[in-house]
Amino acid sequence: MPWKDRYTISDEVGLADADVAWPEGRRCCVTLTVSLGSASGPQGLTAADMRTPEAYFAANGGLEQLLRVFDKHHLRATFAVPGVLAPVYHGRLRSLAAAGHEIAALGFRHEDVSTLGREEEKGRLLRTTALIAEATGTNPVGWFALPRQSDPFAGGTVSSHTVDLLIDAGYAYLGNGLADDIPHWWVSDFAARRALLTLPYYYHFDDQFFLLFPSKGTGLEHADSLYRNWRAEFAAQYRRGRQFHMVLHPHHSGWAHRAQLLDSFLQDMQAHPGLWNPTGGDLARYWSRTYPPAQYLKLEPSIWQDHEGSLS
Amino acid sequence: MAEQNDDDILASISSAVAEGDRRYERIADFAWPKGVQIAVNFTADFDAMLLRRLLNEPPMQLAKGEFGGRVGIWRLIELFDSQQVKATIFTPGRICELYPRAVRAAAASGHEIADHMWEHRVPDDPVLEADHLRRATAALERTGGRRPVGTRSWHRHDALKREGYIYNSHGSADHLPHYEYDKDGRNGLLNLPFHYAIDDAMFYSFAWLGSGNATQRITDTDRVMDLWWQAFQQQYAQGGYLNICMHPFVSGRALRIAALEKLIQRMKAFPGVWFATCEDVARHCLQAFPARRAAA
Repeated sequence: MPWKDRYTISDEVGLADADVAWPEGRRCCVTLTVSLGSASGPQGLTAADMRTPEAYFAANGGLEQLLRVFDKHHLRATFAVPGVLAPVYHGRLRSLAAAGHEIAALGFRHEDVSTLGREEEKGRLLRTTALIAEATGTNPVGWFALPRQSDPFAGGTVSSHTVDLLIDAGYAYLGNGLADDIPHWWVSDFAARRALLTLPYYYHFDDQFFLLFPSKGTGLEHADSLYRNWRAEFAAQYRRGRQFHMVLHPHHSGWAHRAQLLDSFLQDMQAHPGLWNPTGGDLARYWSRTYPPAQYLKLEPSIWQDHEGSLS
Repeated sequence: MAEQNDDDILASISSAVAEGDRRYERIADFAWPKGVQIAVNFTADFDAMLLRRLLNEPPMQLAKGEFGGRVGIWRLIELFDSQQVKATIFTPGRICELYPRAVRAAAASGHEIADHMWEHRVPDDPVLEADHLRRATAALERTGGRRPVGTRSWHRHDALKREGYIYNSHGSADHLPHYEYDKDGRNGLLNLPFHYAIDDAMFYSFAWLGSGNATQRITDTDRVMDLWWQAFQQQYAQGGYLNICMHPFVSGRALRIAALEKLIQRMKAFPGVWFATCEDVARHCLQAFPARRAAA
């Protein structure tokens, strides 16, 4: 792509289906992200958020329910946890990691960082890394900026510094990007070819936008739509040999009929041969080695011209 | 605004209805070329992240639009080519500076490259508006190899006609292609109707057209394909027209490409389905059913 700052984060053409290869000749990559943060607003998690019955359910019955379903289908997931929850969730995080799941960061308090200054954002990022490292014994390699239900857009929020700061802090990947449906390089500096691996996210496969969404009103439970989206996307991506990714929240998908739908979706999915189910970190390691930016990031200088009366 | 009395209300409503009669002209005894029962226009509005940027939306929204240029447009071209469907790509002029290869590839496959405004807006100032339209037309001609004759825009008709445009595709004043005039009844232009119920973004794109968080009801392909299939059947039965509006950043997602493929295959099982470009449909209408008003 003729690179255009503030318009694009990547190069022009994504990888064709035929050029996507998975380890050991596997046919399709499937990844699961579980969000352990449910901030009610852009400020991020508050004590009031954590006093709700949903928050209690998310950390206890809902989480156990999800883990039962994952265990039944032998699936590994990446758990995104806000730094502020790492100390109190320390026991849970250790046992998740011991079971083969990955613990990644979901901001300091799952907040919108786009209004923070660079130094403030950096301070929170480093503190989050330290909090998670202390709780789990290892530095997180993945960072998520997942959307909150009350956000005006369903893609998550970052600032203009986030990617740069994550590279500096040694993160291997940003967990939610919307420019592709497979891993891709998010360019933070065109001239220096500085880029961070970004894993795909799309809100049509994120449970929180279908299960009692918006949170108040009538007829807002669309578990059936979510289920059909998962099935349709998995079938299409399996056919193409690409990647299927879903986001789950324990208090949403861990509840009753939704857990049932998740179970039957995963059952059908697992009946397909040739799936690769890495955590975010495994995927990032594989992708960075197999599709390094030096070879696969094809950036061209901008051909954009500034015109009077036009947006620059 | 001053409060109206009941007589004023009566007069203003009568005048609005009369304006509609001046503005729209339906085509009487409409017919397709021999052997055609329905014309289906697959149309893609290729704005990628341009509109998101224009509205000053945050980085993840831009990335969501970027999917359209990086992945979606290529998948749509591949889908249409594999199904032998000729589509119309309504392309903002600026996209030629962002995704020139994709525009060239669509043109090389025989799809129509049509105008979708310079940067997805029409300036109020008529001089700047004319400038935007000239720029967009020149960019599309340079990149697509052919001067565009169609637009999906809110440009003034006199400006469009000056640049040689023969049709617009917006609004739903009739099921069938029809003529649309200025407010004062001049400058008629053929319109190929578009309806929001046959628009992917309406169903799939979160926060579409500035809609608030609490109004979102995003849905799945099964439901949308059922609706669109019913629209096709209803129009097929009466020899009508269907314009399916897609956005590469929305319909280019794998699940939707698969659903569209099934939809096209279902349509193909019926005789007399004309998968034309908008230009093909427009040329048929203009030749067989020219506008009746002399001022057109």
